[in-house]
Amino acid sequence: MNSLEKAVTQQIMRERKNSEREEMVNAILPWDKFSQWLHCICVVTFDLELGQALEFIYPSHIKLSDKEKMNICYLSFPDSNSGCMGDTQFNFRIRQTSGKVNHHLLVRRKEYDRNSPVILQSDPAHLFGFVYFRQVKDKSSRRGYFQKSVVLLSRLPYINLFTELVELIAPEFFDKGEELIEAACHDIDQWSNPVPGDTLQLPIMGTVLQVKIPAKGDIKIGALGIARDAVPQPMGSPLTVVPSLHAVETFMCLQPVLPHIQLLWELVLTNEPLVVMGPSPGITCGTVHALINTISPLKYMTDYRPYFTIHDSEFKEYTTRTQGPPPVILGVTNPFFAKTLQHWPHIVRIGESIHAFLDKSKANKPKKPGSLKTLESKPGVYTQYKSFLSKDKTIQKRLAKGIQTRRPYEVQDAMLRRYLLELTQSFMFSLERYVTSLMPLQRNISPWKHPPRLKAFDIEEFLRTVEHSGPQLTSGLKGDWESLYRRFFKSANFQGWFQNREEEINQKLLLLHLEALSEADLLKWCNEREEVEVVDLVLKLRERLNDITERNLPVKPELIQKLHQGTESIIRSLPEDLRGVLEK
Amino acid sequence: MSSSKGVNDRSISLFPEPYRPDATPYKVKDFHASVRNLASSNKTGSIGLQMSKCIVVGDVAVGKTCLVNRFCNEVFDKDYKATIGVDFEVERFEILNTPFNLQIWDTAGQERFKCIAAAYYRGAHVVIIVFDLTDKFTLEHAEVWHAEAVKEMKEAAFLFLVGTKKDICEEREFKEMEEKAVKLAKKLDAEFWAVSSLTNENVEHFFCRVASMAFNDVMKKSQEDETDGKATKKVIAADSSLISLKPETGAKDDEKKSCCSS
Repeated sequence: MNSLEKAVTQQIMRERKNSEREEMVNAILPWDKFSQWLHCICVVTFDLELGQALEFIYPSHIKLSDKEKMNICYLSFPDSNSGCMGDTQFNFRIRQTSGKVNHHLLVRRKEYDRNSPVILQSDPAHLFGFVYFRQVKDKSSRRGYFQKSVVLLSRLPYINLFTELVELIAPEFFDKGEELIEAACHDIDQWSNPVPGDTLQLPIMGTVLQVKIPAKGDIKIGALGIARDAVPQPMGSPLTVVPSLHAVETFMCLQPVLPHIQLLWELVLTNEPLVVMGPSPGITCGTVHALINTISPLKYMTDYRPYFTIHDSEFKEYTTRTQGPPPVILGVTNPFFAKTLQHWPHIVRIGESIHAFLDKSKANKPKKPGSLKTLESKPGVYTQYKSFLSKDKTIQKRLAKGIQTRRPYEVQDAMLRRYLLELTQSFMFSLERYVTSLMPLQRNISPWKHPPRLKAFDIEEFLRTVEHSGPQLTSGLKGDWESLYRRFFKSANFQGWFQNREEEINQKLLLLHLEALSEADLLKWCNEREEVEVVDLVLKLRERLNDITERNLPVKPELIQKLHQGTESIIRSLPEDLRGVLEK
Repeated sequence: MSSSKGVNDRSISLFPEPYRPDATPYKVKDFHASVRNLASSNKTGSIGLQMSKCIVVGDVAVGKTCLVNRFCNEVFDKDYKATIGVDFEVERFEILNTPFNLQIWDTAGQERFKCIAAAYYRGAHVVIIVFDLTDKFTLEHAEVWHAEAVKEMKEAAFLFLVGTKKDICEEREFKEMEEKAVKLAKKLDAEFWAVSSLTNENVEHFFCRVASMAFNDVMKKSQEDETDGKATKKVIAADSSLISLKPETGAKDDEKKSCCSS
């Protein structure tokens, strides 16, 4: 066999292997589609002997660790016996401690994450739980009550979609029994994969939900609004449009603390420890999600628990006094926390009725944390933190006027989101611009050199740019922006954001470099070089090809083929002995 | 389920006739004049995407899934696999040059899933009760399915009684069954069809008839709403979001399949 034939055979073998791999990835097995959306569905019931207990998990092959089971059981029920009669909905977030993910699921998830806005990426280490809890009088039960929860577990932060989904499934399940969960799971197993940018129609229990999966860069002012259809769809309509996968009603949830909205934004932005105390899990999780969302499109990088109980496996870790409070946001309802978390620097206390809140005189000043002794304390923000930025009176006035004139919630919501988004963008703009200045120049990308990388981030250098062209130009807000930046640089939010940008940019540079390589006349270059340089190039080419598979770079197959062919032809041009070594 | 889904829309311009003129309560012979008018004024796509929901019920193993698969995926799978819960398909039509989607909810015939069917009946525009032409019991049982549907449905729906496995039915047996089925159809106020999913006999024709009747009705209603003036905004709002969200419809229209029209 001559070397050309050999090369061709090798190429064919490689292609075959690739296509086999692709086939493996493309084959659809039962539960594959389901697993792209949900981890599983659990039913938690109150057992007289055991307390909260897992009644069943569907699909049944899903295994949860004991820790996960325990957390799910406690988090699926109200923590304190504070009523919650009838039906209640809330959600939680737990650490995932179980299970290996099969390779092919992982490939799809990576692809999803790459094309998704950061705040909608799947969570690799946590599971979200969406709870529908029913508590009603039931004479047939020995305890006199029917108490049961349906919980959807997922890695996707689709707060809005899954809240609606469990609201569709749970009441029917309480009515009809286990078969309904089975049928609902089967419906979900027919859903198309969540591909960013796609609009999907998802059949579920006789109706079809239409959702748009946002793509990277889709999260803009327009797309942010919850745009809850002002016109309700006719009953029994074959299609329900779900306006947003993840948006929560920011205005409604944050209304009780509106006067402190900027202060809260700073606390969230800089990953300060924050606890939200509320009368029910529904209220705490609304508030926690709304807080996380204040810095959107930035992703909140540390842990947050929309609902956290004293039974949580992280309870000790998060409440210990031997270290300072962790940089997390917790939502709690149990009065016990008022004492346990007394030492926390920032406490948000939300009252029972979050709608009626107009008492301006008392609410305007943050309260001292020491004054919070019990959960009976007044609603408000308890902190000694002083905002770096001065208060924006305009937005406060506009929102207050809206409350007085009973402006629709949707409009207030859009106004508040827009304000927060612009604030975050003003803050991030200088950073984005600075990072762009760290990019190497196009002419530094040479096929014969290593791919260039982003230069290092220099805090002082950045702050010098802020002096003359900082956020004060776009936002109009006065204050100590520099100190806020310094605080931000110490936070995980900054680390996460920068790492993400760095990775994106370096990947882009890699791609540009690959393109330059594929367009270069490799053979001509080799003709003018020493053998040792040529060998070096072959090794580099192989390294690049390796990069493509290892980092799963989005490269056209033609480019890969071109690089393969280039490598092969260089090898063929070499003397036989060297060829033998390189072809191994 | 959708592995070999045909991407071409089915296009209909003539109103499909019933299987037997004497075995249908629906006397409509053509699209309503106002519907034709509305459709012909739809050059700009102003009507938006219309859709209807159709639910398929019937005893276990009568061939509900085979019927749906034959039509939607153009396949016939001889191996029997029980449906869990409900299978779902959307079939795209182009009726009088207007895009129309038929949602097909294919339910499980097993007893243990009977309790969940109610959730799936909601808002159905068409109910297809399927029975096996070679099994008398499944025809008799169609009455039970009918009662179930009537109990769960709040609004009127088009009702079809469909006998399957025509290909393995001997002629004498077939005549006998057909007579019984026609009788039952009359009693239930349903339209009767006899089909074979294996040979594809009448399957295409049947679903095009279903789609045309549903389309005619939906369009008429949306127009009545419009002239009423009250609900106009609702319909338009819901639909306009639909059409803007489905940009892919246009791209695949190059090659249209023609059915039930010449």
